[in-house]
Amino acid sequence: MFEAASYESNLLARASLDSCVKCTICETQCPVMAVTPLFSGPKYVGPQAERYRSGLTVDHSLDYCSSCGTCSLVCPQGVEIAELNSVARAAMKKGHTPLRDQLVSRTSLLGQMMKPVAPLANAVLANRPSRWLIEKTIGIHRNAAMPTAQRHSFSDWWRHHRPSKAPTRGKVVYFHGCAGQYFEVETSIKTVEVLEFIGYEVVCPDQGCCGLPLQSNGLFDTARKYVRRLAEQLNVEVEVPIIASASSCVTMLKHEAHDIMGVDDPTVLQAGQRIREVSEFLLSLADAGTLPGDLAPIHQTVAYHAPCQLKGQGMGKPALALLSLIPQLTVIDAEATCCGIAGTYGVKKEKYAIGQAVGRELFEAVERINPQLAVCDTETCRWQIAAATGATVVHPISLLHQAWGLDQD
Amino acid sequence: MTDTIVVGAGLAGLAAAIRLAQGGHKVSLLTFGLGGLPLGQGSIDLLGYTHPAGSSHPTADDQAVADPWAALPGFIAAHPGHPYALLGTDTIKASLAWLAELLPDWLLPSDGVNHLVPTALGAMRPTLLIQPTMSWPSDAKSVAVIGFQQLKDFFPELMAKNLTQTAQVSAKGYLLDLPARDQEVDSSALRYANAADHPDFVSRLAAMIKATIEPADLIVLPAMLGLASLDPWRSLESTLGTRIVEAHLAPPSVPGLRLNQALTRLAQASGVRLIIGSKVIGYEGEGDCLRGVTLHQAGRDQFYGADQFVYAGGSFESGSLTVDSHGLVHESLFHLPLVGLGGDRPLIDGDYWSDQAIFKVGVATNAQLAPINPDGQIVWSNLRVVGGLLPAAVRWTEKSGDGIAVSSAFAAATDLLNQTSPKKDN
Repeated sequence: MFEAASYESNLLARASLDSCVKCTICETQCPVMAVTPLFSGPKYVGPQAERYRSGLTVDHSLDYCSSCGTCSLVCPQGVEIAELNSVARAAMKKGHTPLRDQLVSRTSLLGQMMKPVAPLANAVLANRPSRWLIEKTIGIHRNAAMPTAQRHSFSDWWRHHRPSKAPTRGKVVYFHGCAGQYFEVETSIKTVEVLEFIGYEVVCPDQGCCGLPLQSNGLFDTARKYVRRLAEQLNVEVEVPIIASASSCVTMLKHEAHDIMGVDDPTVLQAGQRIREVSEFLLSLADAGTLPGDLAPIHQTVAYHAPCQLKGQGMGKPALALLSLIPQLTVIDAEATCCGIAGTYGVKKEKYAIGQAVGRELFEAVERINPQLAVCDTETCRWQIAAATGATVVHPISLLHQAWGLDQD
Repeated sequence: MTDTIVVGAGLAGLAAAIRLAQGGHKVSLLTFGLGGLPLGQGSIDLLGYTHPAGSSHPTADDQAVADPWAALPGFIAAHPGHPYALLGTDTIKASLAWLAELLPDWLLPSDGVNHLVPTALGAMRPTLLIQPTMSWPSDAKSVAVIGFQQLKDFFPELMAKNLTQTAQVSAKGYLLDLPARDQEVDSSALRYANAADHPDFVSRLAAMIKATIEPADLIVLPAMLGLASLDPWRSLESTLGTRIVEAHLAPPSVPGLRLNQALTRLAQASGVRLIIGSKVIGYEGEGDCLRGVTLHQAGRDQFYGADQFVYAGGSFESGSLTVDSHGLVHESLFHLPLVGLGGDRPLIDGDYWSDQAIFKVGVATNAQLAPINPDGQIVWSNLRVVGGLLPAAVRWTEKSGDGIAVSSAFAAATDLLNQTSPKKDN
């Protein structure tokens, strides 16, 4: 069993640092370095500082890395920069993780606590004096985007759900993620309805958190337990794909559990092989010519933002090609690197301003393209964009749901 | 709709993808990381230097080429295996005109001759297509070279001293104390470009220049006058009433980033599916027909099928060509046959400054840029090999890399479009 602080858990990533030719491409694309001198950048903090780390911390500006993963994505030499930095940060913070980080990285717990008192929780989070108090006591910035608590979870809906038609294509396992369970319930419901509409039988086992927020806050031991438990829970109907509308959580299963936390359980790896982000899955059907084509036009122009964690899956931006199938809908790629939330980074009081600066170009693009409606695949990014722009920000599945006439049902 | 996969997103890959997509193909561009444009000088070279007769490698007698179109026939005659010999002057000319038309905001139309643009060291580098900020006025007699204390990749006094010889001007260096942003003491040119995209920084820079420098015909600044647009350069020129030329620096290269950004946006606007961050690790094919490639994605390997393929993976610098521990050279993706291996010289010799034979190793192709084996048989009839993978060129001493990338990509894309046109849609 690996220790969280042991840099040996990342030997493969360490081996890649010798491939760094100091070309600076990662520095040109790092969204944090672009807006603050507080972070000395992926090249220094990553492959350069890593040479001097033997479990020791050599550059505390590492804490300002948002873990967006852009550096690893753009590196032409295959250096696992973000992975190195995530491990080093976990080592740096081990033993003194603030209560705040412990709290914001437990989405399920927050959801469970807020659901029974949803109206009250939402009122507290919308109340300026209480937010000021939360900032002073816990360290969550008073203006940071917060999820809206729902009175009913996705599971409440699922328990009473009956498909409106018989399946014609076989089964898929649905993974909703914790935000999809407690906060973005509508996205989860729409995803199930679309999958059933195109002919799948949806199977949805009880499931917990993937551990991604814990991982990005350096709490590797707990995150490993979470991702292993989730993989076991999803380990039903092992021959069929797992489909998820929580695009960032997909990244955890596809590669971060293994590449950052050294998890190599066969169950986790197998779940990582089977899981598909829903746009990725639907686009593969469209490319194979097996997606129903009777999409009604949507007379809208919207900005689309691909979340960092989705881009990190190395499959491009499937939602862009998928949404182009809807007649009259113009989807403009906002071409922003990051929205600035980076999971829980942008809610922390000492990083809030950086997160806002990172997201500024994206927010301006949304305001320019369509200040009412924007599209993005990950929940926390949607909350960030919505809070900054006032726009309604939806998952791509919402537009498909609408175009297939499922909104009226 | 014809499906085409382009592998590699450097200048060659982007150019091929754009031309194919604009010609109606459904293009997927697969790239492992960004291509090399952000590392380059941001102008387009065609042919910068030729070696004196009898010398195959660079010497102190190398001649800067003034008129590359006049020099090209002789160069082609002297280099029969060179990509330029394969492609021919007409194609090369058409391809560069096409590129300049693609990027009207970033490249000046060619006047047919090489420009001499200053490097950070003050060398005058011959290149064909330049950005508007690179045009050196031939009538400039006095030059003010201006740098920043916080930009440690640029030494104005050194450049000024060298310019007195290389550009035959009187030149003086100035170092301004102007951080790109608060308190940062060591910034890259990119951070200065980000700052310059805001008009207030340009105003402060203009005021500081006015207060500091003696009158000069020309001001040289490090290449940082805008990434989003060249408006900062225009505004500074008009505020100061003096012509301004940008000198390109070591990476990160702001002019290179401009071209990369412009071409990537054009590709996406042309409908290219850009898939970044996964490595192509395998392929499938039957007979001489390639069927698809395997992408090593997060979680699993994914097969991408297509009808046609363009391979723009670059050379040794990007790992498309590799040398193993036995000194054997391989093309690492499709294992294509190479040429340039069998000479009487060792591939790598002990003389650091000689033109190492290994740099002329590349993939053997026919005139259509399809890969061929030593018998001249086509290996994959629906694959085209472009850019740095092509043999017999030493791109950095000839200053021919951009011209090879653009002309081979243009020729390959044109050929593939012709093969499928008129095409049967779906």
